[in-house]
Amino acid sequence: MLLQLKNVSKWVQSGGQKIFLLKDINFWVNEGDFISIMGPSGSGKSTLLNVIGMLDNFNEGEYSFLEDSVHTLKEKHRANLYKQYIGFVFQSYHLIDELTVKENLEMPLLYKKFGASERKSLVGDMLDRFNIVGKKDLFPSQLSGGQQQLVGIARALIASPKLILADEPTGNLNSKQGEEIMETFTQLNKEGVTIIQVTHSEKNMKYGSRVINLLDGSVV
Amino acid sequence: MYTLYFKIAIRYLLKNKLYSFINIFGLAIGIASFILIMMYVNFERSYDTFDGSENVYRVYMDYLEGGNIFKPGDAQSYNMTGPTLKKEFPEVLEYVRFYRLEKTTLKSNEKVLEVGNSCIADPSYFSVFNTKLLKGDVNTALKEPNSIVLTEGLAKIFFGNENPIGKTIQIFWREPILVKITGVVKDTPQNSHFKIDYLLSYSTMMGWGAIDKREKTLNWNQNMYYTYLKVAPNSNINALTKKIIESDFDGHIDERHNIEPIESIHLHSNKPYESEANGSIMRIKFLTAIAIIILVLSLLNYINLSTTKSLERAKEVGVRKVVGAQKQQLIVQSLLESIILNVLSLVLAIIVTVIILPVYTSFTGKVATFEYSSITNILLVLGSILLGMILAGLYPAILLSNYAPSKALKGKIRTSTNGLHIRKGLIITQFLATIVLLIGTIVITKQISFMKDQPIGSDLNNVLAINGEILTEKTDSILKKNFTVLLDEVKKLSTVENVSLADSYPGYDFHSLSSFMGITYPDGTQDNQKVWYGYEVNPSYFDVMGIEFLRGETFHKNASEHSNDIVVNEKFVKEIGITDPNLAVGKKTKFWGSEWNIIGVIKEYHHFGLKSPAIPIILRYTPTKDFLIVKLNAKSIADYRPIVAQLKNTWSSVFPESTFNYSFVDQKFEAQYEEDNKFGDAFRIFTALAIFIAALGLFGLTSYTCIQRKKEIGIRKVNGASIFKILKMLNIDFIKWVVIAFVIAIPIAWYAMNSWLNNFALKTELSWWIFAMAGILALGITILTVSWQSFMAANGNPIEALKDE
Repeated sequence: MLLQLKNVSKWVQSGGQKIFLLKDINFWVNEGDFISIMGPSGSGKSTLLNVIGMLDNFNEGEYSFLEDSVHTLKEKHRANLYKQYIGFVFQSYHLIDELTVKENLEMPLLYKKFGASERKSLVGDMLDRFNIVGKKDLFPSQLSGGQQQLVGIARALIASPKLILADEPTGNLNSKQGEEIMETFTQLNKEGVTIIQVTHSEKNMKYGSRVINLLDGSVV
Repeated sequence: MYTLYFKIAIRYLLKNKLYSFINIFGLAIGIASFILIMMYVNFERSYDTFDGSENVYRVYMDYLEGGNIFKPGDAQSYNMTGPTLKKEFPEVLEYVRFYRLEKTTLKSNEKVLEVGNSCIADPSYFSVFNTKLLKGDVNTALKEPNSIVLTEGLAKIFFGNENPIGKTIQIFWREPILVKITGVVKDTPQNSHFKIDYLLSYSTMMGWGAIDKREKTLNWNQNMYYTYLKVAPNSNINALTKKIIESDFDGHIDERHNIEPIESIHLHSNKPYESEANGSIMRIKFLTAIAIIILVLSLLNYINLSTTKSLERAKEVGVRKVVGAQKQQLIVQSLLESIILNVLSLVLAIIVTVIILPVYTSFTGKVATFEYSSITNILLVLGSILLGMILAGLYPAILLSNYAPSKALKGKIRTSTNGLHIRKGLIITQFLATIVLLIGTIVITKQISFMKDQPIGSDLNNVLAINGEILTEKTDSILKKNFTVLLDEVKKLSTVENVSLADSYPGYDFHSLSSFMGITYPDGTQDNQKVWYGYEVNPSYFDVMGIEFLRGETFHKNASEHSNDIVVNEKFVKEIGITDPNLAVGKKTKFWGSEWNIIGVIKEYHHFGLKSPAIPIILRYTPTKDFLIVKLNAKSIADYRPIVAQLKNTWSSVFPESTFNYSFVDQKFEAQYEEDNKFGDAFRIFTALAIFIAALGLFGLTSYTCIQRKKEIGIRKVNGASIFKILKMLNIDFIKWVVIAFVIAIPIAWYAMNSWLNNFALKTELSWWIFAMAGILALGITILTVSWQSFMAANGNPIEALKDE
């Protein structure tokens, strides 16, 4: 098992009342899974993804990731944990505008203190794998949405995470580009990468091996 | 990693050109101003520092003023002072006495030159002032009578590259004398309060008729000597000072000797008869304060702009965190960016400084180069700039690195109240500094124009003062005849309205006045404490200078040379106990062992303008005196040059072998205010820069607020708010801050400007409207800056603003 959530709840206080964003979530993920989280707007999909990604805290319950109990870890350790094991893919790509494709890919490696030659070969691998060698010196604004998202995925993958979290990865793309991205995810999953995606679309959902439906913060 | 940081920084700067420009430019202005001001300040502080200067002290006189309070009264002391102090106090290792001749004319090799800093000095000069001779022998140079030590520059003028040692030079001052050159010293540095062009040996005085016997025999009566002491290192100066103060060698109960370190003379001493007009510690303090304010303003500004901009980069920070950046790494990156920006600003600032320096040097009249700043001072200046930069870079860096990634990615960064408080504090500080500087500028401008507009009891327009050295021996009676001819000849010129003679005129050197103590009032009261001043004039002087009589009249045309008639000013009349100046004429007073008859009282007359209080002045009659004072015919003046040429011709026809110098009296008088004018100009320029920088900061903060409240503005507009309403809403906060800053600024500015005004005898009022004007100006600048930015926000399409969410 890669990770497990037990009775996880998250709420905010509003006028003396608790408003639940997540309520009593029980949930586990095995290595190699491809999970789709579905649900209407405001059902807590992104919040759940952020909790899994350790970008957000929760108020109650237990969360274990590999051998670590995330809820007992200090902020700093938790950050180290996700930096080591999790890659993120965003709806709006979130590439750094001032950096070229190559530099965007290189950035995570720099933060993780990879050596120069290692960085070069890893970046080269990624450019090859995603067929974007010709684009390596372009800036994000010079790419199409689909290409930007490819770079986004490549960046998430470059440090070989165990888990990819994708928040509506095709939300900003047209259907053809969207299909290509989903094909890429399927391919990655076959290669052994665990993926959790948040999606609105029934079509994209079907790429996953398991679906979790959320409504008002609870699994239904 | 750092290459990447570097790349991002440069690309970011290039992408946001306006932001980068404002930021770099604003900082560069701040730094350049700081460097320029501090260079001047360092120069002023560097006066009279040489190897051993910490052990050199000047002896000066304190005078008893009203009851039992002693006040510094004279920078000069007696020729007995030095030898006595050395004999009595073992701490005193050496003394040197100077007798300043001031302006003399030199002639050698057929070259004639007037120099301003002529001095007679003891041979110990070289050891006390730690001076080496470039040529000649230190041990003998000032020993023999009629020997002279020239400065390098002067030696070059007269003898070029020849060795001047052993050559002779003629000095014209009252009675010509031929002296032998025995040494050459380096020119006195600019940052010395005691400048010399040459030194005559002390023993020269004894056989030279130009100097009165009363002055040169050892005595405790004529304090005409500057005395400097070299004390043993590590002496207890407080104890020595106390001993000197309590000693009573001169036997005058109403005065005492005192000492002061030579290093502090330039900025701290402003006594009568200083060897040159000194600087002022008050001005230095003000300038230092302005320098710091401008630097801090530009740094605050930088902080404001970078925190503003950091909002836009929240997304980037979120991404970085998510892909694995540690907080530390983000801080380092952000700091690196600010270092790059700051280094660019610093480079720009240094370029600007180097370009401006020549203009600045001629403006300040001081050689402001790094040469005069010691290494410690330069390090101090650079250190404070660097420290400021790091602090300024750190705040946005920490702020940025603290963003929670999940929020940052969604662009949901809203500042914490804490951050808002800090920025509010920054902006209020900026306003505060700006308003204080504004008030300062207005007060200084007001005071300067106030001084210029005050009547000084004399009309100085179109008055020329002409003097020259007559290079041939002439007896007094021939001179007297010549001057009479000269007066007649000059008066005949159509361009001349009137002409007279005098040995001083308003605004001229303090040294041209004679001063004394000891007088008997008309009612018989004996006074030994007050100081009286006097100079000598020809009967037409009052007419030429436009000085009006309150009562009485000028000297008789054919008055005897030894006439005991005097004309005095109102101040004098009051000082000798006559309450009604109208009754003064005909009263008799005694000094210098004879009785003097007051024949006229002139109206309120300020010999030295309004910086110092009016001094009691006695004018005596002279048939021949240094300056030919010429009042030009106002109608005939279009071009001065032909008139001056004409006057020169007339002068030369009477004195064939002579020099000819002239100056405009009004310019000479104005020159007294030169330092104040410059200070005012500097204050205005730097205040304008400070306001500009503050406006940049405001601009930054407004755009920040507009980003923050974009959605709110959109909603309000959708619901029908007019542009004006929105402008008002955005302005109101800033106005509130201006008001808060204004309230804090008033007492600070009042205190500062009040202490500045205390330097003047006659001072302008700190009227309420000065403060109001500064407040309104600050408010106006604020509203303009804020409205410019917010207009764009208010005018934007609300749909754009709302689309975000």
